[in-house]
Amino acid sequence: MGVAHVRAHAVRRAARALLAAFVLLAHAVSARAHDRTFSDATIAIAARGADVRLTVHRDDAAAALGLASPRAIGSAADAARYAPALARLLAPRFTLTADGRVAPVAWTAWRWRADRRAIELDGRAVWSHEPGSLGVEARLFPDNPLHETFVNVYARGALLREGVLTAPAPSLTLFTDGPAGLWAVLRTFTATGIHHIFTGPDHILFVIALLLLGGGLGRVLKITTAFTIAHSMTLALAVLGVVRPPSRLVEPLIALSIVWVAVQNLRHGRRGGGDARAPVAFGFGLVHGFGFAGALTELGLPKAALGASLFAFNAGVEIGQACIVLATLPLLAWLHANRPRTAPRVVTAASWGVALAGGFWFVQRIVAG
Amino acid sequence: MPRPHVHHPPRALFALVFAAAALAAPAVAPAHEYWLAPSRYIAPPRAAVELAALAGTGFRGDRKPFAPQHCVRLEARAARTLDLTRVARAGDYTWARFAPSDAAGVLFAYESDFTPITLPATEFDRYLGLEGLDGPLAVRKRAADGSAGRERFRRCAKAWLAGGDAARATATVGLPLEIVPLAAPGAGATLTVRVLWQGRPLAGALVRGWRAPLGDGGAPADPEQRDSVAVAWQVRTDARGQATARVAASGEWLLSVVHMVPSADRAEADWESTWASLTFERTP
Repeated sequence: MGVAHVRAHAVRRAARALLAAFVLLAHAVSARAHDRTFSDATIAIAARGADVRLTVHRDDAAAALGLASPRAIGSAADAARYAPALARLLAPRFTLTADGRVAPVAWTAWRWRADRRAIELDGRAVWSHEPGSLGVEARLFPDNPLHETFVNVYARGALLREGVLTAPAPSLTLFTDGPAGLWAVLRTFTATGIHHIFTGPDHILFVIALLLLGGGLGRVLKITTAFTIAHSMTLALAVLGVVRPPSRLVEPLIALSIVWVAVQNLRHGRRGGGDARAPVAFGFGLVHGFGFAGALTELGLPKAALGASLFAFNAGVEIGQACIVLATLPLLAWLHANRPRTAPRVVTAASWGVALAGGFWFVQRIVAG
Repeated sequence: MPRPHVHHPPRALFALVFAAAALAAPAVAPAHEYWLAPSRYIAPPRAAVELAALAGTGFRGDRKPFAPQHCVRLEARAARTLDLTRVARAGDYTWARFAPSDAAGVLFAYESDFTPITLPATEFDRYLGLEGLDGPLAVRKRAADGSAGRERFRRCAKAWLAGGDAARATATVGLPLEIVPLAAPGAGATLTVRVLWQGRPLAGALVRGWRAPLGDGGAPADPEQRDSVAVAWQVRTDARGQATARVAASGEWLLSVVHMVPSADRAEADWESTWASLTFERTP
């Protein structure tokens, strides 16, 4: 081999080394630019606690620990050196909540994942009995608003829930698949259904408008049953994904239904005639069901307990509706029985109020799109 | 017609000077490419191909997990177009496992949503210069207000799995920014591409190319473990949005282009950049 060839070879090697250094330097400086970073959390739930595995990329770990370069973490020895500090740092930033009580994660082991250039932390949370609901919250790197944490929760080897925790949405709640989870689903979604009715003045006014003309117990039962059957049908269809009309269509229609019933009351007061409230309740009940579904799906339904959550939410809606009927009906019955001359005026005034409110919502929802 | 200017950095001594100068520079502006990386670019029918996506520099990077919340589209175009978002699982580093049904070739395409970032003024301007984004750089220089670079960026990546039907490779996918080859990539020593912005030819865009040698057995080397490589060439597109580059050397090729316009959402960012890439293998 000639001297010239050796020199050329040496120059090439030096050039390659310098080029690699240059590119690595560029990479180090730009590590956080034009890139999202991700962590993974895998949680395996058992009766007495949960095993947690958190995988953190070295770019994030180095930035959080204030290291000059991510390349400071590049081997098992580096991981062993920095993992304890990383675990201490992340302990308050990654929390589990079992049935509403914080279950601290004790980080006990760590390893270097060369294939992912990441530190893997193993931890355990302990509880006395399997919780019905589990909350997971991750705010791992608050200085990096682009960071996201993938969460996978397993129970008895099966995937229970997956989700992505972000800076704007750093937590999720899931229900376990045992009896405790079922009970938690029923409790939570019944309360949600009741809450939805009482915080939704459009549904309240629709039911009140249906009742304003009064009538015997049988007639009222017929009206409310028609409404219940109709909205239960469309709620189930929408939640199961069979039919999902857009909310920009459903919400104005709900407002229009209120106007319609109120106008029907006013026309009935002037001309009398037949009582078409039961079919109207059924027809518009179909639309209100889609509205309930919109609210329910926004909450994030537990896939494993879809039927139970749907049933519980619907039951909550019925309870809320029954409360409105029980509060309104005796008052109207008393009015029609004891103040027969005043009652029509009250019905007219109330119907005008309901119609105006419905009209306002209709315009508002059309404008909002 | 004047030929587009093509720059080929010399391989050894010039590279040494280039690298030394770069190291002497006070800082290096960010340049973060994003590409789709199939486990192999040449696959017979029914052979399994795993698709990953990487972000990095010098054609070396980190695998990125599939994030459905940021995916606008992920598809494989072969005899028919398959929506891969149906099989991709959130958090998986292998985005899809795919088996070509024929030997005509497969075009993978991915489009992300926007991600907002803010860079210090100096770093932002340096990055604009490095990426050849002269228009935005000139606007910022005229303003001379030293404001931070408020940007939102998105990715449009394509990968070509070699096959006999060049029409599959040359078809337009409809990405906001797209590198459309005018022949089957990897088949010839040169490759002419057309850069489309919102479906129209984009003149003056800086297209850059990197080449990574193949690994053992002729398969692509692990893009997380292999050495970084310098830009092999860079070329501006002509008035027709076309650029011709030399891709004679065998290996895995990455072509990348960035386009930046004033942001449509000024509340989120002042500028929005779209990064397009095309990966393929050259086998002489």
